[in-house]
Amino acid sequence: MNLFPYILIILFIKKMEILKYILKRILQTIPLLIIVSLVSFFIIRLSPVDPLAELKLNPSVSPETVQREKARLGLDKPIIIQYGKWAISFVKGDLGVTSTGEKVSTKLGERIPNTLLLTSIVILLTWLVGVPLGIIAAVRWKSPFDRMMTVITSIGMAIPSFFFAVLLLMFAVKTGWFPIGGLTSPNFSEMSFWGKFWDITHHLILPVVVLFTISLAGLQRQMRANMLDVLDSDYVKFARAKGLSENVVIYKHALRNAVNPMITLLGFEFAGLLSGAALTEYVFQYPGLGRLILEAVMKSDINLVMASLMMGAIMLIAGNLIADILLVITDPRIRSKA
Amino acid sequence: MTRRGFWVLSLWIILIAVMCKVCIVRDVPKSDKKTQTQQESELTVSYPSQKNVTINGVDYLQSQAPVGKFGGTLVSSTIGEGPKTFNPFNCKDNTSAIMSGVMYDGLVSTDPVTGATVPKLAKGFSISPDGKVYTVYLREGIKWSDGKPITAEDVEFTWNKIIFGGMGDTSTRDSLVINGKLPTVRKYGDYVVVFATPEPYAPFLRMLSTPIAPKHIFKPAVDKGAAYFDSFLSTTTKPKDFVVSGAFKLKEYVPAQRVVFERNPDYYEINTKDEKLPYLDKLVYLIVGDLNNEVLKFEARELDVISLQGSKVARYKSLEPHSDFKLYNLGPDTGTMYISFNMNTRKNDKGKYYVNPVKQRWFNDLNFRRAVDYAIDRKNMVLNIANGIGLPLFTPESLNSIYLNKKLKPYDRSLENAKVLLKKSGFYTDKKGRLFDKDGHRVEFDLYTNAGNTEREAIGVMVKQDLEDLGMKVNFKPVEFNSLVNKLVSTFEWDMVIMGLTGSPLEPNGGKNVWLSDGRLHMFNMRTPQEGKAGILPWEEELDLMFTKGALATKFEDRKVYYDKYQEIVYNQKPMIYIYSPIRIVAVRNKFKNIYPSSLGGITHNIEEIYEEGNK
Repeated sequence: MNLFPYILIILFIKKMEILKYILKRILQTIPLLIIVSLVSFFIIRLSPVDPLAELKLNPSVSPETVQREKARLGLDKPIIIQYGKWAISFVKGDLGVTSTGEKVSTKLGERIPNTLLLTSIVILLTWLVGVPLGIIAAVRWKSPFDRMMTVITSIGMAIPSFFFAVLLLMFAVKTGWFPIGGLTSPNFSEMSFWGKFWDITHHLILPVVVLFTISLAGLQRQMRANMLDVLDSDYVKFARAKGLSENVVIYKHALRNAVNPMITLLGFEFAGLLSGAALTEYVFQYPGLGRLILEAVMKSDINLVMASLMMGAIMLIAGNLIADILLVITDPRIRSKA
Repeated sequence: MTRRGFWVLSLWIILIAVMCKVCIVRDVPKSDKKTQTQQESELTVSYPSQKNVTINGVDYLQSQAPVGKFGGTLVSSTIGEGPKTFNPFNCKDNTSAIMSGVMYDGLVSTDPVTGATVPKLAKGFSISPDGKVYTVYLREGIKWSDGKPITAEDVEFTWNKIIFGGMGDTSTRDSLVINGKLPTVRKYGDYVVVFATPEPYAPFLRMLSTPIAPKHIFKPAVDKGAAYFDSFLSTTTKPKDFVVSGAFKLKEYVPAQRVVFERNPDYYEINTKDEKLPYLDKLVYLIVGDLNNEVLKFEARELDVISLQGSKVARYKSLEPHSDFKLYNLGPDTGTMYISFNMNTRKNDKGKYYVNPVKQRWFNDLNFRRAVDYAIDRKNMVLNIANGIGLPLFTPESLNSIYLNKKLKPYDRSLENAKVLLKKSGFYTDKKGRLFDKDGHRVEFDLYTNAGNTEREAIGVMVKQDLEDLGMKVNFKPVEFNSLVNKLVSTFEWDMVIMGLTGSPLEPNGGKNVWLSDGRLHMFNMRTPQEGKAGILPWEEELDLMFTKGALATKFEDRKVYYDKYQEIVYNQKPMIYIYSPIRIVAVRNKFKNIYPSSLGGITHNIEEIYEEGNK
């Protein structure tokens, strides 16, 4: 009897299940996005922040100009209509214009690459360093290395990021070794390729150090705790009792199980790609999204704020989705439930 | 094991302590002497005004400043998120206006010392005796940065099509509607333009400093309508598409980082050796998010110029002798800070008084207002809030205004005078020192300002203390800026407020929205548009008259009389009590020469004459 076609069919059904699962998750996000957008829109509009306040208090601006600005920003219409207008153009893919008449998409487009550059370097570095350090610390539990890591990570977790950033800025001012924030030097456009490369690296070092120290701490602790849990479990004891080599026990059996919670974490890291570094960006005057959005919020620049909030929400949902899918792939227990 | 943990921990602490010690180096030498910044370094060098010269049929503007060296870069900064546009006719914020001002010159400009109107793109102008016709003569043979000549055609186009055509920001046009009519602009030949206003209107002359646009570049954009014009020459426009008349031309704009300008080789100003200015190759504006970052950048030598806050001046003063920068005192700022009373006696549309009638009686009592004025200790505020870097202020015109009424003398705080005035109006204090009015109401009111502005918050605290010496109860409430504006201009529900306004030191007419009885910012006695001039007070009527006459007169001397009178009325009636003007102190690197700081023009008013010494 040939079982092969049956196995294929079973596999196909399994795959369909995963696809169905993904589709279901995507459909679930739609009402979520609507709720997020409604709540944010109303909170911004109902807050006492008046985008025209400064204009109103400027002696040289005539009342007609104020009135015209009001009409241009759509503030003279009821809030429901304002929301409807925004939502329709958002669905069509048009993010609208900022309060100063620039396109929101261009504004965001200018900044997103810079923020991505910073956050992806940080995430790459923390995962490349944090996960191995966590494993080593767990394996050599209570060794001097483990203790030293505990001290370092405790410091890393205890320092508030903006404080650390300010401290490093002071360091840069006093020593003159690093530029004071920004991403490129004034004569950047005249540099050679390697000159440019070095210039950007030079500017990135301090913000990366801040973000790296802070997220490394959390990641290393998490990995260490997961690994310790797993190393303490019965099947690891069994594997050891069976006489498997320590390497096989740790890297084949224990690690695969310890890494699952990390995948969920990776989903959150993905969500933080665009928004996670805002505070550090602000202190270092990094030309990323953080500064742009902060100013937009202060001025109640609704289209810009909404675009960034929606972007954040979508990134968070996407991050979670990716994490769940990865989990389905790595963890057979979830697969059977799904 | 725990002992080892302890050792590891203490090792770390020592390591961090050493690192901190390394980075925090004492850079200010200890000194017991108190610095006296206020008195010294008043502007002594007088600025040599430019002249017109004609060489080979081209009317150049000739700088009379010492001849400098070509090359070099000056790095300045702008606080905030950078320019929103480079279109000089679409600027709604200060940064954009500065950036486009670098690139586009106007017909005239302001003498940085005397405040007189001096020629720029125009070589001269004349005003007809009736004050209605302005004839402007353009320079012959000068060029846009693409080599095309600058002619009357460009001027006529700029005024008729862009400004009067309602393109971009229309505030210039709005302010020029006189009796429902706009001025007319006509060109005669290539180099003469005649402006005619329907009525004599003095502020018009300064409006000629509005930038002039190159017709061949702007015409296609204007033809496409106002909506297209709003996005014309935006921050995404390629630098090579700019055709300019100013000393510098856009080279590069990097969002949230910097704006770089390069010298315009076709600029129409020359030095005494007949070489074309500007001296500097590049002018860079770094876009910095806040004041603290600006200071750090200056200290790390990334910036060449910085405007200092009062609190920083003492430190910089002590650093100055052994560092590479020099401090310049630009004199009083144009901003004014004041306390205002809500003298509104009317009811809102629901029939309720905007201001409690009891309080109305106090605020409309001149003795009460003057008592408050006498009780306020301006000198103390200058010392404690502005760190001594300021001067007490008693007039609505700022101290550097060319229209300042110098006859209005400052006076000191006097609680005795205040008490005498209060007594005259029947106010009395009980045994605990609490103040009551003649009907036995406790004198208690709210004092607002916008939260987050530390300077105004500090003033509020001191005003509260000063007034409590008279037995008044002041509830000081800093509120969010927007809700404060809402109170001031829409709901009128406030008692007293501390605010600031920026005025023009050259043109008092800009304050008409504040002082005209139906003005949009006439906050101390605000009327809704429906109310018109309801319940106008005699001195308000007089103020209206002064502002109307002041705008119609054309000679400076005539106007000065009206504006002196307006300041006198405010000085006597005290609807607004002015507090102090901060003094502007700017630090500039020593290597830059031809710096002629002035109160009206700041540091970079002669940017084309500034040069960097010792560059290659």
